[in-house]
Amino acid sequence: MEPLKLDVNVGGLFLKNPVIAASGTFGYGEEYAPFFDLGMLGGIATKGLSLKPRQGNPPPRIIETPSGMLNAIGLENVGVERFIAEKLPFLRQFDTKIIANIFGETPEEYEKLAAVLSCADGIDAIEINISCPNVKKGGAMFGADPDLAAEVTAKVRAETNLPVIVKLTPNVTDITRIALAVESAGADAVSLINTLTGMSIDIENRRPHLANITGGLSGPAVKPVALRMVWEVFHAVKIPVIGIGGITTAEDALEFMIAGAVAIQVGTANFIDPASTLAILAGIENFLDRHQIGDIRELIGSLRL
Amino acid sequence: MTERTDNLFSDAGFIRHNRQIAPGHFLLSISIPLAFPVPKPGQFCMLHLPGNEAMILSRPFSVHGFQKKKKEAVLEILYRVSGRGTQFLSNLTPGAEIRVLGPLGRGFWRLAGKRILLVAGGIGLAPLAFFLEREIEYGNHSTAFSIYLGAKNAEILEGLASRIPAGNQKLLPATDDGSIGYRGPITDILKKDLEHLATKETMILACGPTAMLKSLAELVTQKAVFCEVSLEERMACGIGACLGCVVETRNQNGSSTYKRVCKEGPVFDIREIVWSR
Ligand SMILES: Cc1cc2nc3c(=O)[nH]c(=O)nc-3n(C[C@H](O)[C@H](O)[C@H](O)COP(=O)(O)OP(=O)(O)OC[C@H]3O[C@@H](n4cnc5c(N)ncnc54)[C@H](O)[C@@H]3O)c2cc1C
Ligand SMILES: Cc1cc2nc3c(=O)[nH]c(=O)nc-3n(C[C@H](O)[C@H](O)[C@H](O)COP(=O)(O)O)c2cc1C
Ligand code: FES
Repeated sequence: MEPLKLDVNVGGLFLKNPVIAASGTFGYGEEYAPFFDLGMLGGIATKGLSLKPRQGNPPPRIIETPSGMLNAIGLENVGVERFIAEKLPFLRQFDTKIIANIFGETPEEYEKLAAVLSCADGIDAIEINISCPNVKKGGAMFGADPDLAAEVTAKVRAETNLPVIVKLTPNVTDITRIALAVESAGADAVSLINTLTGMSIDIENRRPHLANITGGLSGPAVKPVALRMVWEVFHAVKIPVIGIGGITTAEDALEFMIAGAVAIQVGTANFIDPASTLAILAGIENFLDRHQIGDIRELIGSLRL
Repeated sequence: MTERTDNLFSDAGFIRHNRQIAPGHFLLSISIPLAFPVPKPGQFCMLHLPGNEAMILSRPFSVHGFQKKKKEAVLEILYRVSGRGTQFLSNLTPGAEIRVLGPLGRGFWRLAGKRILLVAGGIGLAPLAFFLEREIEYGNHSTAFSIYLGAKNAEILEGLASRIPAGNQKLLPATDDGSIGYRGPITDILKKDLEHLATKETMILACGPTAMLKSLAELVTQKAVFCEVSLEERMACGIGACLGCVVETRNQNGSSTYKRVCKEGPVFDIREIVWSR
């Protein structure tokens, strides 16, 4: 029998399989290396990187909610320079694609980040985070306005030859408008969704569970919303779509691919079981085998209506 | 490059028993494969709540006991029911499968000293009893141990005290209602005792509610005693990846940094912590 074909092309980013670890849930890879060979993954999206190191928000930063969690980390990160010097060499040891997730407070900061990362050896793609709900400036502000989203995308596009993925926020009325805007501004792919803004209150002391008051909802609870949005965006744009949101099992991942995602990212599930990504990959292979599908690409966007 | 710890385990264990030792307090014994690395006192594990779709995050618990047997290892957790997850845990019966991730974090530093005071607020006894058990096992006879144990009432205090390994340490009890021992916060007795102890030869290891740790922080700063505390913060991953569990710590230059309780802790030098809440 022919070997299974699992490789996918995400707008010029070639992955050996469609399973990517999602930004902010996989650190810089180090924490997961004790559990499995990171080279088994299609790709790893780094924690969101900013020009300068960021401290992040005060604690408490997380709270569990039914079938999910809220987080307001506030993009704590080591900054792009220390990332390149201290974290990237470790990641580069593995046979996997490194996707640098970037975050800025102004379009110019995104531009600079793209320039710096393009010079670093070992980055395979840039994922623009215009969708973080947990920071005051930038982030979701750019993601909610089609013109600003396009401006950030165009600025990054002009600075780099690497594939540019734009990560979209679900906290908008019509996600396809933003997707179309970044497509025309030169994005090679879109990834969605980032977290849904939410809130949780401790009724005993009537305080919010998070110091930031609101936070981003992730995990199985968001999956149906994410899936619907991936399906909508898949029909709206021509560029490839990466599906994200509540994926914890191979079945979840397959739903996203059938809805139109060429690849998927696994976030919160990494916290539930550090080897989730591997189990998801194995489950996908198993499914393809069982259905005698030789090439995973046959599955993408194959939703029957 | 940050340090890599390759000796981590994430796999299924089986519940041997899960028995109540006092109202709302349970001793959970889990059989796990021998491959589980030997934990250091102060380290913790993440327990996954099996067959549960709503509570997705694992719960952190200090290692309370660990023994290697011929074909398996036994991990003991001492816990208090304080919410839905621990309630769920208390209903699990022998034979149930439970995934364990660990051992995690940095344990207590074992400094040579003439006198070690273990200060436990309620369930905070869990890691301290394990620490003491290891000291007794290693045959540490040159150190005098005292346990300051605070609890709500006599019933809970006695249940917890039954988990202290046999040895010639001193037990100093305090309860909120005075039903046994001193009536009031455990730090009151400690404060008195510290008046006449040579602080240079004394060290304190503590674990308990924030209010207790805060008064302890004041006490040891006045007295200049070395003191390590095991902290609690909500966790998602337990391995340092999510940055969810941070506490504010003091730098030498007066500025502050967030440190991860799961990775840089859960045990910290008490002087490092900025107590804001
Ligand atoms: C390093 C460490 C060691 C611990 N060791 C022990 C132990 O040995 N015995 C014991 O009884 N308890 C211990 N705890 C506390 C224990 O983790 C919580 O009591 C437990 O998570 C409560 O879960 P719940 O679902 O019952 O409570 P809920 O309040 O319903 O939980 C909601 C969420 O908040 C988190 N949470 C609630 N309280 C705490 C807390 N105090 N600390 C951290 N997270 C919390 C839960 O994990 C969950 O994600 C430890 C905590 C930490 C961080
Ligand atoms: C703790 C945490 C931190 C995150 N940090 C980032 C980040 O730095 N950049 C980013 O683009 N997305 C970040 N995300 C969003 C995830 O990458 C993902 O889009 C989202 O969690 C939905 O997927 P999931 O349900 O599989 O977790 C974070 C999510 C969590 C839970
Ligand atoms: S619990 Fe995730 S970093 Fe500590």
